[in-house]
Amino acid sequence: MLDKVCKRFGGVIAADEVSFALTSGRVRGLIGPNGSGKTTILNVISGICETDPGNIIFEGDSITKEPSHMRARRGIARTFQHPRLLRRCDIKTNLFLGIDLGNMKKKSSVISKKIDQSLEQLLEMAGLKVNMRDSITSLSYGQQKLFEIVRAILTKPKVVLLDEPAAGLNTKEMERVKALIDIAIKNNAAVLLVEHSMDLVMNLCDIITVLNFGRVIAEGIPAEIQNNEAVIEAYLGKGRHA
Amino acid sequence: MIIIIAVGAAIFAPFAASNYLLRVINMTMITYICVVSLFVIFGMAGQISFAQAGFWGVGAYISAILTVDLHVSPLLAFFASALGAALLPAILGIALFRLHGHYFGFSTIGVVMILNGLFQNWKPVTGGADGIANIPPFGIASLTFNTEMSLFYLILFMVTAISVVTYLIHQSSLGRAFMAIRDNEIAAKCMGVNSYLTKIIAFTISGCYCGIAGSLYAFMSSYVSASSFTFPQSALYLVMLMLGGYQTLPGPIVGTALLMLLPEWFRFLQEYILLIYGLGVMVLMVVMPDGLIGGGKKAYEFIRNKRGWTDAIPKQPGNDAG
Repeated sequence: MLDKVCKRFGGVIAADEVSFALTSGRVRGLIGPNGSGKTTILNVISGICETDPGNIIFEGDSITKEPSHMRARRGIARTFQHPRLLRRCDIKTNLFLGIDLGNMKKKSSVISKKIDQSLEQLLEMAGLKVNMRDSITSLSYGQQKLFEIVRAILTKPKVVLLDEPAAGLNTKEMERVKALIDIAIKNNAAVLLVEHSMDLVMNLCDIITVLNFGRVIAEGIPAEIQNNEAVIEAYLGKGRHA
Repeated sequence: MIIIIAVGAAIFAPFAASNYLLRVINMTMITYICVVSLFVIFGMAGQISFAQAGFWGVGAYISAILTVDLHVSPLLAFFASALGAALLPAILGIALFRLHGHYFGFSTIGVVMILNGLFQNWKPVTGGADGIANIPPFGIASLTFNTEMSLFYLILFMVTAISVVTYLIHQSSLGRAFMAIRDNEIAAKCMGVNSYLTKIIAFTISGCYCGIAGSLYAFMSSYVSASSFTFPQSALYLVMLMLGGYQTLPGPIVGTALLMLLPEWFRFLQEYILLIYGLGVMVLMVVMPDGLIGGGKKAYEFIRNKRGWTDAIPKQPGNDAG
């Protein structure tokens, strides 16, 4: 839960008293025009940025001062607008980085030769039936974005933060993104989706928060947001409303 | 087959080699341990360090002081060297890893210079410019390693053990944490990697390796002096790693072997050796920035793709973003 989270970069207010809560098994959309502070909110939740004033509560504990790796170990997984993968490593090593975090309590050991069957299904669903020994850079941009979501799911997260997962993807890949988000929901994770593709947002989200200049200007179910005058004015535009 | 040949060569080579050649090979293997230490901190964890020669010196001096001045058994001195040279980077790392990127690398130049200054000037302990002589040979119970051949097997054993340990680290979750920090520190943190602690662990392991190399060097040469443990020596380790390839474990083997053994075979070019080194490294960095192993790998992949050998990614319809 975010409680009046603020973030300033010099004179620029990227987040201004933003408050909302995430619920297990539900998807919250976070939309708004470019520069409205969506990614900043993800950075603040995942610990990449510190909050100025404000508080972040996770399962009853304040994690505002916790470093990002501790938040990840608590179960906050995220993807990035531009995939952040181990570019000099093979696909398997990248994949096992996610499994390591998922298994942290069990203490992961040497890479096993076998890829688990459920993992294989997950990879198939993401269209990633590839040679595990190939370099991660051999994947296309779309595959890399899907791979990042798979890696986030492998960490067994309680919260998944997705930063524009569908940006730059084709229709088929967007379907795969949806399928992967469904898996996260089925695993009872709370999903925070930052996305510009309104079809994806309106179809997937249970509730939507709209940001503009760092402030929450609207919050509600997709139908309400689509008809909200302030949102239409600031972000969706008249065409969408009609 | 290659392994069998390598093991066979390792076992029988000393019988065919002169004492001089064995000394060169032993020194090459000790240098290899230092280069592997750099592989851990730089190749795997992405933190460039010029302090390796300093830690090598710490290991050598600990063994020398303990055995010559304090009459401690060589085996105990060996373990003390490994521990001492591991502890130093562990403590230094607490402060130095507050620095990021190249600043850490610059700070390690200071470390090797300070350590070299200590070796040269702390006369009551290190013997100053005279160094420490008459170091007894390494021994375990009644077994004494006082010939080049016995030292060859001892060092070979250590080289094998360190290579295996490094391989296991590379394949483990710790190794993946190292590589995650190297490739993308923010992503690593978001995957639960404590980057600060992980860097300290990598630095500690690399220091431990240098300590082992230093101890072996002290027992092999029976004399240590500050002139061996200098910044240029650290820079040479880096050149060896870059030459062989800093991203794979065979890289240090190739790089060390080439730069240690080639000058022996091309003695007639002794006067020009630094010129050849410099030019060679420059050309290599332009042509093969990933070193000989990395370049070889790329060439193999190029040929593989050219000839249409399988295990390429199956192209799936609709998978290309653009």
